[in-house]
Amino acid sequence: MTMKDFKIVFTGTPGAGKTTAIAALSDTPPVSTEVQNTDAGLHKARTTVGLDFGQVDLGDGQCVRLFGTPGQARFEFMWRIVATDAAGLVFLIDNSRPDPLADFAAFLDAWRDLLPQMSCVAGIGRTEACTRPSVDEHADLLAARGLVFPVVAVDVRRRDDVLMLVDLVLALALTRA
Amino acid sequence: MPTLFEVSSADVAAQALRAVQALLVDLDGAATIVIASADGFELAHGGRLAVAPARLAALVSSFAALGDVASRESSIGTARCLVIDASQGRLVVRCMQLRGQAVVVVVLTDASVLLGRVWHSLAAAERLVNDA
Repeated sequence: MTMKDFKIVFTGTPGAGKTTAIAALSDTPPVSTEVQNTDAGLHKARTTVGLDFGQVDLGDGQCVRLFGTPGQARFEFMWRIVATDAAGLVFLIDNSRPDPLADFAAFLDAWRDLLPQMSCVAGIGRTEACTRPSVDEHADLLAARGLVFPVVAVDVRRRDDVLMLVDLVLALALTRA
Repeated sequence: MPTLFEVSSADVAAQALRAVQALLVDLDGAATIVIASADGFELAHGGRLAVAPARLAALVSSFAALGDVASRESSIGTARCLVIDASQGRLVVRCMQLRGQAVVVVVLTDASVLLGRVWHSLAAAERLVNDA
C-alpha cells in the first residue's frame, strides 16, 4: 500500500448511507449496484447487492478509492471480496434503527478477524433525530471489546462529514505505517 | 388479509417454480436451478443441490448486478446473461422479468451441456411463464 493509492471500505447496516456517502465524496460518478428492494422490512426502494465504488483526489497525487459493501448479512461473502487489500474500514451505523448498538456489535463480530489489519472509524448517522444511544455509548461498546478507534456523529449526505471520516482513517493508517 | 406486495410476491414465486420445473425437464445436465429476486432472495429452486439455494441466490444477484454495471459502464447496454465457465461445469446466469419483477435465474450444468442450449431453454422458460 502506498499513500498514492488508498482503498477504504464503507460497511454497515442497510440504509446506513454507504451508497450516499460514496456518492457525496466521489469526484467521479459512483458505480452503484442498487436493485429493486423486495424486503418489505427495509423501507427503501432500492438496495445495494454488489458493491459501490467511487474515488476522490486528495491532492499531492493521493487518490482514495472508496468501496461500499451491501448491508445485508446474506451478502457477507461480498464483504470479504470488497475488503481485500483495504487499509481502512468505515462502519456506518444508523441510529434510527431499533437497536443500533446490536447492529454495531454484529458488524464488529463479522469483521473481527480483519480489524487488526485495518484502520477503522465509525460514523453514527441520524443522531439529531435519534439521540440514544449516544456516540459515547457506541465508543463504550468498542472499549468493552478491547477496541479503540474514533466514533463520530455524521450526516453522510454532507461531503465534509464523509471527508472527515476518510481523513480520520487516513491519519490512523499513516500512524500505523 | 395479504398485502398487495405479498400477493405479488406469491405470484412471482409460483411462476418462478414453474420456470424451474420447465427448465429441469428441458435441460439434460442441469444439476441445479435457482431463481432469485434481483436483491438476492431465493424464489424457487430445483435439481440436485450442491450448494444452499439461499446462498446461491445471494451470490448470483451480486454477479448479475456487477455484470449489469460493467455492461452499462462499457456502453454495451443492459446485461442479459453471464457465464462462469469452470473446470468441471458452468454457471449460467440470466437476468429476466417475471411478471414485471426483475429476477435472476442461475443454471448449474456439467461441462457437456452446450451454452446455446441453455440460453434457448432460458428464453423459452421466460416466455412460458410470462405468456401464461
